[in-house]
Amino acid sequence: MESTSRRSIVVLVMLVSIVLLVLVVLTGLASTNPDGLEWSLFDFAGLTKPEAYFAGLWAILGEGPLVDALSGAVGVLLVLGLAYLLFWRLSRKG
Amino acid sequence: MHIPDGLLPLALLVPLWIVSGLAVYISVSRTNKRLDERTVPYMGVLAAVIFAAQFVNFPVGPSSGHLVGATLVAVMVGPLSGILIMSLVLLVQMLYGDGGVLAYGANLFNMGVFSCLLGWVLAKGLFEVLKSGHGVQRALLISASVASYLTTVAAASVIGLEFLTLGELGFPFLVMVIAIHAVIGVGEALLTYAILSYFIKAAPNMIPLLRGEELWALTKVRPVTPPNVVGT
Repeated sequence: MESTSRRSIVVLVMLVSIVLLVLVVLTGLASTNPDGLEWSLFDFAGLTKPEAYFAGLWAILGEGPLVDALSGAVGVLLVLGLAYLLFWRLSRKG
Repeated sequence: MHIPDGLLPLALLVPLWIVSGLAVYISVSRTNKRLDERTVPYMGVLAAVIFAAQFVNFPVGPSSGHLVGATLVAVMVGPLSGILIMSLVLLVQMLYGDGGVLAYGANLFNMGVFSCLLGWVLAKGLFEVLKSGHGVQRALLISASVASYLTTVAAASVIGLEFLTLGELGFPFLVMVIAIHAVIGVGEALLTYAILSYFIKAAPNMIPLLRGEELWALTKVRPVTPPNVVGT
């Protein structure tokens, strides 16, 4: 019973997180402005933006809301899986 | 708040890698075999929620901000598990091109180690002051939100100081980076309040301060007991 409730909370939170993320990205509600540090460095202080030698795993798919939504949703599941593995290894069994 | 590669000198990046690596090592060794296995799904969900919230930026004038979440996780699972969660979230973000590979140690230090520890100290201190007058749940929400705001501004100050080592940037940059994060911090506090409100309702026993436990001592991390799931 407790395990079922726990599982339903996990599934509910994951679903809500992914749906919200995808909706916010696809409807253009997420800001595409540079973040606070980037703006301070490159726009305010005028520092030259360095060429990134690693643009990220999803760079081959290009840019756009669809790629952002897909990569975001996959990322949420990836983090869930990694955290699950790590903390499972660190947990006290039985 | 993610530092890209090619900006900070190796002379600064290497020590920050070492400090962050040491913090992760200490967190793993002090957490190992002390977590109840039933809390594992919640750790995973919390990490995923932090990633999702960090992924979406909210507008702040010509700039934007996003949740860091270090204070939130430190309050919810303790600072050491919080550092581990932040290390995973920042690792995946690095793989996504948000934050440099060489700068991972610096990003983990700023948004993970420093922010989790400071956020936890501030939240814990405020909670002790507020809990008698406001009730524990309300006191926790207020203290975590205020602590997350102060931690965001403090972390921005640390990042500003790191960039001053470049020699090209002066005092106006430091003031600007702090000022803009003083605004972004309001978003951090509001998101912290909203996410923590949900977890307080859904799984109050997961949160050490609500169980009245001193999970916080760095030298004595006690097991996290399973959450008291609503409806059971």
